[in-house]
Amino acid sequence: MALEQLSDVVQRCQALPDDRYTTEDHDVFTISGRTCIEEGNSAQVLSLVLDEKNQDLVRCMGWNLLPPLIQVLLKKDSEKFSQCLAIFNHLLQTCRPKELLIGLLEQLEQDDPDTIAKSLHLLLNPLQKVLLCLGSHKASSLGMTLSSVLDQVANLPLPHTKEQEEDDVFSLCRCCTDLIDFVKPFVHEARQNLLNSEAQRESTKRRAGELGRDTRGIHELGTELLKFCMKTLSHPLLEVQLKDPDTLAESPLRNFATEIMHTLSAIGESLPSLVYQPLLKRKQVPGFLEEEVRYPKESLASLAHLVFVHHLAADTFPSVFSPVFGLRCNMEHICLLLSRTEESRIQKGLELYEKSLVRVEDGSLPADLMEIKTFLTVPQTLVKVMTVCPRHDLRTRGLKVLQLSIDKLDTEAKYNFFQYMLKTSNHSGVEGYVIKNIKNQIDTALQPGNSNTWFEGAHLLPLLRKVLSLPDGPETDLLQNLDRIMESLNLLRYLIIRDKVTENQTGIWTELYKIEDTFLKPLRVGVNMSRAHYERELHDTMATKRGKAKVESLLSVSVGDEKLPNMTSESQIQALHSALHTFDMIESVLVRIEELTEVKENL
Amino acid sequence: MADEPTREWSDEQLKSDDLPKKDLIKFIQDNAAHSFLNEHKLLGNIKNVAKTAKKEQLIIAYNQLFESKRFKGTEPIEDVTEHVKSVKLEDKPKELPTEVVDEGPPKYTKSVLKKGDKTNFPKKGENVSCWYTGSLEDGTVFDTNIPTTARKKKQTKPLSFKVGLGRVIRGWDEGILTMSKGETSRLEIEPEWAYGRKGLPDSKIPPNAKLIFEVELVAVD
Repeated sequence: MALEQLSDVVQRCQALPDDRYTTEDHDVFTISGRTCIEEGNSAQVLSLVLDEKNQDLVRCMGWNLLPPLIQVLLKKDSEKFSQCLAIFNHLLQTCRPKELLIGLLEQLEQDDPDTIAKSLHLLLNPLQKVLLCLGSHKASSLGMTLSSVLDQVANLPLPHTKEQEEDDVFSLCRCCTDLIDFVKPFVHEARQNLLNSEAQRESTKRRAGELGRDTRGIHELGTELLKFCMKTLSHPLLEVQLKDPDTLAESPLRNFATEIMHTLSAIGESLPSLVYQPLLKRKQVPGFLEEEVRYPKESLASLAHLVFVHHLAADTFPSVFSPVFGLRCNMEHICLLLSRTEESRIQKGLELYEKSLVRVEDGSLPADLMEIKTFLTVPQTLVKVMTVCPRHDLRTRGLKVLQLSIDKLDTEAKYNFFQYMLKTSNHSGVEGYVIKNIKNQIDTALQPGNSNTWFEGAHLLPLLRKVLSLPDGPETDLLQNLDRIMESLNLLRYLIIRDKVTENQTGIWTELYKIEDTFLKPLRVGVNMSRAHYERELHDTMATKRGKAKVESLLSVSVGDEKLPNMTSESQIQALHSALHTFDMIESVLVRIEELTEVKENL
Repeated sequence: MADEPTREWSDEQLKSDDLPKKDLIKFIQDNAAHSFLNEHKLLGNIKNVAKTAKKEQLIIAYNQLFESKRFKGTEPIEDVTEHVKSVKLEDKPKELPTEVVDEGPPKYTKSVLKKGDKTNFPKKGENVSCWYTGSLEDGTVFDTNIPTTARKKKQTKPLSFKVGLGRVIRGWDEGILTMSKGETSRLEIEPEWAYGRKGLPDSKIPPNAKLIFEVELVAVD
């Protein structure tokens, strides 16, 4: 039935010029043609399509047959495969590029990852051929194609381990490799355009900005490729963990990343300019994309990671930039990455931070760096990572990087940084860690030859006053602030032992009477109050337990929609004992400090 | 050594109602070190201080002043607390001020291979463009931006950056400022003004490496 309809309309149109085909002709051809292919009559369709007499018709309407053809081609084991392939290839050569493009792009959208991967693999090559036929106006069509392709790639699951990358079960790696082959001729063309326009500019001494109509098309191709590269830098490149050559000698993903970087260079985007962009003033490029859209911050951060952590395209990256400059630029990228919640971003942020710091000499970063915004916001985001990130290894690494960043500061910068962190971190653990660092710095300063005005002498006392204090006076929650309090006490004990009364290098001995008033006395009061309170609680809980009365708790806690069971009496008692033990611990250090003070003062 | 101030009033005079708070405050403000005043909350307009401070507190402070001898001029570094408290936040990244400290002789040497125009010398902050080749002492070339064929050279651009701002290694920053447009020179840079004790990890530059650059200054903005 369909076959007859098809033959009819074909016959009818043989006699007509193509501007006389009616809408009905189009529709009949489309419906009957598609049905024939679906029903397996591809041989007949093939002979119709190849017939010389029908070429005008094929050119005009042939592209409508693409959907069922591609369905057959995706199922490689169909017996009609070779016939459909022949029809397909003929259509590619005969039909109009713009229409073919639409037909092919439509078929990129499939339902499941497997089919998506298959259709990408099948269609990229034909798409390339079609685009190359579009001549000098191909830029926007290329852009549309790349955008659709990347949208589909985004639906493919990503490999995470080395084995997954090798197995490539969902064909992401193969798609990336295909993509590189796909863009090659366009990259080449864009590079040529760039060279030609520069040569032209040289020879006629035209000023930059006065671009003729021709050259606008030239830059458009480069612009589309830039968009493409920037997009891939976000996805998949920022999501996947690239494996180093030692781990995986041949890595399609690493190759893909490298090729993207080469593409950027080829279209005239210098890698250093991109990576160092946060600190460079960009020239206004006469084009239609604004800075932020043209160079998405996340993509640049991804690029910086590829350069500094994976050392891709290292042979094209100049080895003349100063490590401090690199650090300053990277801080912007690091800030962006660490502020995200996705663990892949955070991990890359930490890696980039580490690699940037390692290049800098210890104790060399000057205090004026602390006036740059990112040098203050990055530590804050780092604190968030260290305290809140669900992954333990990232929290630990965050702490390691924090210490590394401290080590690179010079003495004055360390001083300012510690002040800043004590003021802003609002976390007892972090404060305790900073105080431990302060102690180490004081220790260093007291060693012969290391004397400085920041951790001994005039500046130290204001810092000490901030450290040796209770955030809320005697009402300070001792358990919540335990880390900070213990480190403060340790510091005080250290100073009393280390600094001789007669020398008083740190000023602690003249300050001690005040510290007694503002710190030690309220702390003792707090300890006693807390101990009394908890002892009471313990007594009550044990009484309740003995009485076996059900105590209705006032709060409940739920995690992930599941309500946690109330603490059993045993656990409550345990917790209370633990709290009391903590107070004992604090008190023992207080007592020790008293003892030492007396001994020293009586010397 | 300045003469220490002496007590103006006896204990009885202090306690007497005839002595207004303002006089006591003024005395302490005139004679005590800034940090002493800060701690005892005696800074600022006398009227305001009088409103918030009790006579007993003032007497205690007065006596403490003489006991601790924290008079004006005994603590030369006064405003430390204020200074370090205010950490400024800037939106635009700042350029670091260049080091004025004289650290001794320059840690690089320059030999001119081809003279420049001797007129166009770059100034700090200006854009410069160069072709360069960098090698280690043993001759290993670790970096160059000069392509192999002349034809390719037309397609590549020289390295462009703002000189004198600490964006490149110090040997370059200092060396290039002494070059004029068109000059080609050989810069031998000691590690202290190159990549120092660390070198460039994961790259061809080892720790404590002296670097030798042949630089052609193509353009000065």
